[in-house]
Amino acid sequence: MKKNYGQIYTAPLLIWITVFFVVPIAIILMFSFLKKDVHGGVELKFSIAAYKALFNPYIIKVAFSTIFISIMATLIIVFLALPTAYYMARSKFKDFLMLLIIIPFWTNFLIRIYAWIAILGNNGILNNILLKLGLTDHNIQFLYNQWTVIIVMAYTYLPFAILPLFSTIEKFDFSLLEAARDLGATKTKAILKILLPNVMPGITTAVLFTFIPVIGNYAVPQLVGGSDSIMIGNIITHEIMKTRNWPLASSISLVLTVLSTIGVMLFMYMTRSKTDNLRKVREDAV
Amino acid sequence: MKPLRSVDAVNGGHLKIENVNKNFGTFKVLDNINLEIKPGEFFSLLGPSGCGKTTLLRIIAGFEAPSVGGLFLDNNDITYLLSNKRHVNTVFQSYALFPHLSVFENVAFPLRLKKEKESVIKEKVGKYLDLVQLNAHVKKYPAQLSGGQKQRVAIARALINEPSILLLDEPLSALDAKLRHKLLIELDSIHDKTGITFIFVTHDQQEALSVSDRIAVMKDVVVLQVGSPSEIYETPADMFVANFIGETNVFVGTVKEVLGDQAILTVDGIGEIKICTEKDIKKDDRLKCTIRPEKIRITSSLPDTKSEEINVLNGKVDELIYTGFQSRYYVKINNFIFKIFKQHVKYFMDETPIKWKDDVYVWWYVDDEFIVEVN
Repeated sequence: MKKNYGQIYTAPLLIWITVFFVVPIAIILMFSFLKKDVHGGVELKFSIAAYKALFNPYIIKVAFSTIFISIMATLIIVFLALPTAYYMARSKFKDFLMLLIIIPFWTNFLIRIYAWIAILGNNGILNNILLKLGLTDHNIQFLYNQWTVIIVMAYTYLPFAILPLFSTIEKFDFSLLEAARDLGATKTKAILKILLPNVMPGITTAVLFTFIPVIGNYAVPQLVGGSDSIMIGNIITHEIMKTRNWPLASSISLVLTVLSTIGVMLFMYMTRSKTDNLRKVREDAV
Repeated sequence: MKPLRSVDAVNGGHLKIENVNKNFGTFKVLDNINLEIKPGEFFSLLGPSGCGKTTLLRIIAGFEAPSVGGLFLDNNDITYLLSNKRHVNTVFQSYALFPHLSVFENVAFPLRLKKEKESVIKEKVGKYLDLVQLNAHVKKYPAQLSGGQKQRVAIARALINEPSILLLDEPLSALDAKLRHKLLIELDSIHDKTGITFIFVTHDQQEALSVSDRIAVMKDVVVLQVGSPSEIYETPADMFVANFIGETNVFVGTVKEVLGDQAILTVDGIGEIKICTEKDIKKDDRLKCTIRPEKIRITSSLPDTKSEEINVLNGKVDELIYTGFQSRYYVKINNFIFKIFKQHVKYFMDETPIKWKDDVYVWWYVDDEFIVEVN
């Protein structure tokens, strides 16, 4: 008799997803519809107060600024990661370059952000160099604004875009570029019309791997941001740690999850047709 | 079918390769190549892998520049012209079809780059897909095509720019034998219809012999011989060409004496045979001489031809391979195995078919053999 082993084999994954993904989201969902306790925590009473509080103009303003920061950071990352990954994929020293990309991960994320403070701070390295060179006669305030947040975000998540792009571009058949050149395309045209559409799955992954962590990030704006660069993540932290309004923190979290899911799905839908044809190619190759 | 290009347009496609040398670092890949390819010619570059034929093709396509020397297309210096500016298109060995574009869009790609009108694109793509008999598959993607179909798309795409020269880089090597043969004939007919100069790179001597107007045989970075298929087959320039093109029997021997237009050669391991003195030979010269297997007759009785005209040897059938249209006999004479191919014109009418281990006479006309190397 044939036993159905499939369910046994997939059980660990099912348990993992349930315990670490479904249950936490269910808890957040539940908390968002409960009444806030005076001392923090929740009372077991139904309430939609947390959702009404979302329409606070401050929260809406922060939401827009969060989206702006996330889109700008993602754009900068993809524009930097594409040529980097292309160069790596065509280089003779792939392994060494890969190591260079990975090395920063050996240092803690927060320490790397403090390093940026040391570079950009009022008495930081950059200001000292500019003063020595006589390019400025006073310390310039680089830190604590929106663009610093965007740049540090870009720095932090750049490797997450380079790695998937590198692995897609590495699989790309570069003789296609020669064929395009042979058929009359300039170097730029060949890259735009042949390379880009063929590495679209990699670009999709790169965008998802950077946009999602950036939109939920709270450490970067807290350390290098100013009043104009508070992000949704900061409000959630604030509601949990300081104000202790857990239902509001939950409702903001849910809205953030829903919004980023919609964004991701829209993006995947837009890039789908091209990815589909490539999937056919891969299936054929298998 | 009407020619795709007007006859006046066919005067393009004259390529002159002058003293082309190519080094990769200290590694020499091409040594002083001089070739002149005539307009409308079907020209093959034939050689084993590593002989430099693909590098030469890449230089003509513009993917590599020669280290020394120059290229002239219709008297214009194109040595350093970018590949997208040359009137030369390539059919790649791996086809290099764009996986994200349909068959139609692959073929239309060069026209879209030129920003041609939609109606022009439709008409031209249709015409060239007709030429390669692929009009039924315009909407398919490369991944959905068979090897032969991919090859046809690649050919249509390379032709649509109406290049002066079409380069074909081992275009049939990934296909099975039957299909290869069929596409080869199609290539030949496309060549006739378009009148474009074809430069065909291959390591398969059979392919090269069957379609080329002229062949350049290459080995170890140099061109050994340029000539028509029959010149190369019948009068190979050296031992390598003789062995590489078709099969052959090689004798190594010393000239015993020269008698007017014939000489006697003492062949190691066989004995004495008569040879023609078409090359300048003297007594005691060491030389290599060859006779093609299909030019040797095999009979069970002595032939009644005049003995001055032929060489006759006596031996035993060591191996017999029946391949349908011909039989291959391997006849042992002393320590030497003779290859003899016999076409079956009337197999069942042969009164006494020759069998394995039969004693046979092996003979050939003296003027069918030729001397390839004298040292």
